Amino acid sequence: MSETKKGGWKDSNWYVSASSFWREYRKHKIGILGIIVLLFYVGMAFGAPMLATHDPSPNAKVAPTFLAPGWVSIFDPSGVTTGEYMPDPQLLNSEANDFQERGLRQSEFSGQQYAGSDSAGYVDLTWEHSPESLDMDWRLLDPTGHMPDSNSFIFFTQEFEWEFNSLPSDVNMTLELSVTTTGSFETEENSGLMFKVYMWLIDPSGNWQRIYRSFPPYIDVFQSRTIDLNYFDLAAGWRGMIEDETGVQEDPNDILKIAVGIAPTNNFGFDYNSTHTNEEVYDGSVTVTFKRVAMLVYGNYFGILGSTDKGGDAWSQLVYGSQVSLVIGIVATGLSTAVGVIVGLVAGYFGGKIDETLMRFVDFLLVIPSLPLMMVLAAFLGPTIQNIIVVIAILGWTGTSRLIRSQVMAEKNKAYVESARAIGASDTYIIFRHVLPNVTPILFANITLGVVGAILSESGLAFLGLTDPSAPSWGRMLADAQGTGGFSAGAWWVVVFPGMMITILSLAFTFVGHTLDQVLNPRLRER
Amino acid sequence: MGLREYVIRRSIYMFLLVVAVVCFNFFLFRLPTLVLGVSPVDLMISEELRRNLTRDVLAQLYTRFGLVPDPDIFDWIYMFWRYIVNMFTGNFGISFVSQKPVMDELMARLPNTLLLMGTSSIVSIILGIYTGVKVAADPGSRKDVSAVTVALFIYALPIFWLGMMLLMTFSFYLPALTDGFINFPLGGTIDYEVWVSAKTDPLGSLVIAANILHHLILPMIALGVGGYGGYFLYMRNNLIDVMTEDYILTARAKGLDENQVLYKHGLKNAMLPMVTIIAMTFGFLINGATLTETVFNWYGLGRYIFESLFILDYPVVQAIFMIIAITAILANFIADLLYGVLDPRIKYG
Repeated sequence: MSETKKGGWKDSNWYVSASSFWREYRKHKIGILGIIVLLFYVGMAFGAPMLATHDPSPNAKVAPTFLAPGWVSIFDPSGVTTGEYMPDPQLLNSEANDFQERGLRQSEFSGQQYAGSDSAGYVDLTWEHSPESLDMDWRLLDPTGHMPDSNSFIFFTQEFEWEFNSLPSDVNMTLELSVTTTGSFETEENSGLMFKVYMWLIDPSGNWQRIYRSFPPYIDVFQSRTIDLNYFDLAAGWRGMIEDETGVQEDPNDILKIAVGIAPTNNFGFDYNSTHTNEEVYDGSVTVTFKRVAMLVYGNYFGILGSTDKGGDAWSQLVYGSQVSLVIGIVATGLSTAVGVIVGLVAGYFGGKIDETLMRFVDFLLVIPSLPLMMVLAAFLGPTIQNIIVVIAILGWTGTSRLIRSQVMAEKNKAYVESARAIGASDTYIIFRHVLPNVTPILFANITLGVVGAILSESGLAFLGLTDPSAPSWGRMLADAQGTGGFSAGAWWVVVFPGMMITILSLAFTFVGHTLDQVLNPRLRER
Repeated sequence: MGLREYVIRRSIYMFLLVVAVVCFNFFLFRLPTLVLGVSPVDLMISEELRRNLTRDVLAQLYTRFGLVPDPDIFDWIYMFWRYIVNMFTGNFGISFVSQKPVMDELMARLPNTLLLMGTSSIVSIILGIYTGVKVAADPGSRKDVSAVTVALFIYALPIFWLGMMLLMTFSFYLPALTDGFINFPLGGTIDYEVWVSAKTDPLGSLVIAANILHHLILPMIALGVGGYGGYFLYMRNNLIDVMTEDYILTARAKGLDENQVLYKHGLKNAMLPMVTIIAMTFGFLINGATLTETVFNWYGLGRYIFESLFILDYPVVQAIFMIIAITAILANFIADLLYGVLDPRIKYG
């Protein structure tokens, strides 16, 4: 009685057994290591939406295929890392954007940078024209075709340093803009032909390469334009910054400028049908608002773990793959353990005909080839995550049931069961209150090792193509690598990392299981 | 109960198991027909082809595969009867895809699978027993702990990934680095050129054997390593268990040296369960290793069952399933008997 008086929750039964278990468990280094690794994986599974940098869907293309991981570029200083290169793509930093007007009629143009109410950055380029000012200076000859028709125009630039010594393999630019017009520009039918939005690359030597020219119609809501630079654009912009074999480069430095501007077109100065030009009539303004000017440069390197055969982001798929493996591993093992425990308890406790029937059924399942049967069932049922779990669970319970049965057969003749039966306890009560708690310790090690089997089965099935087509999983990544000749293309990263993730996860479960076995199985502890 | 009665009982039991497997097999591969009402022939031929075939040809097609279009209950009984007769006469029908007898297709692949699985099993069994015994002499030592860790690592390793890593290292990167000095084939069982040129070569069979061995090494290592962990742990744990028995204490007390105790008294007893495991391993040899064979493009049964399943070649899958299950049952039976014969302490029953 005295014990219960001073006793808080710390004296409760479960606390004592759990704390003594923990005292024993923490002596095993590999057990601790296993738990740490498991926590890391669970964190990865829950944090996947935050950790992933791109769309994890196996069919999403976010980059060219088989780009090496970004950190490999340490070994290859001239190699280009894929990434966003504009210093201020969201147009939030006023210092990054440099405005400039050109020509005789600079007063008609104005540009400003501001933060919108939604805390996004905007850049406005405005062209205001009134009929009084008629000395628009037109460019008479432009053999390259890169400059606008008018010498007078406005643009803003952003510049960055190209630190690599090779051309990018591809460049995609994204431009988000909206156009608001007033006066004649709003009312006239053809006002859209009077101006254009341009985008240029200005290399360090000051040569302009036009990479984009807009066409009407223009609307006053934001729309996005994607510009895929062609080879000539790349050559004009980057070629001069690349050193040749002797270490000499054409351009004085490695600063590349991106310019975005608006300019009047020839249509504004000339009119072919009537006596007056548009220039003499138009009275109003055009304001082009830019919300985003982004430049995605593709090189030899991409992201944290490179890109896959379909141009997906390997890192994002890897992170999301942990969800599939953990869910399938744990749920399938939970199911098969539940079935195995019930069958084992019933067979072991009741014995006789029931035992005979159940064990013959177990024998039957054991002689059926397991992987082919899983393949057949998964193919027939359809490879969704639920079905894979069921398929793995169907074949996974036999070992557990045999183990539990043997334990129960040893327990059921002990005195405490006899006495419970003598005072009239029902079979169910005896099984769940007396027999089950005594066989549980053995079960824990069995469960963790079962998870390893389930994870390996899942990855094997996924490797054979039996997996949810829309869900990224490690086995599937390996299958893609194998099917598309991943390493024949030199893409070792699509082979190494997914397999490593499977191995480390199942190793962690193995370590925990092995330690539990040693701690909870007293027969082993004596060794 | 004597040995004789034991054998009879096991035989009856084995026969029941075979019957169960045969029935299960019948229904498993007719599941699409039962549930969805489509026959395998429908899956095999396209709608267009079906329209162009005459009724006679279609009927011929069905009979050839032992099927009945739109079966009613009597047709099911008929199909089941045909199936049973075929199974027990070794006539597994004709492959939907290659239109050759299934038996021929299987026989073409069986030697490859047996070669791969046999060599790799032997490697892993010998290594497992050897290191298991070495380590069990001194449990808890540094050597023991590191060996167990390695075995656990192998247990956690997806073997097909190990195969991919081997293939990548030894068939792709190392040949490039060493300028072809170390050079393993990128999968396959035999090079086609070797096969063709060997036909005219007087030493042809030797060349073929050498080429097959060259292709065999990597998958054999992958499977051998994969199997090793299990045999090692089993051997070690058995032997450690045995070494705590009283008769070992007696042997030590007699003054036998430690080696004699370990090999004569310990190993002999610890080998008994090992023998059962080995017998069962050889029963499952025919299983093939679907994943490893797929990785290495090995022309074997494991890959065949996977490929056939995906092109819905049911007669093939059904036949392989059948053969594997019956071999496993036989191996179980033999293992049981072997255990009884080898261990005189066993009481039958």
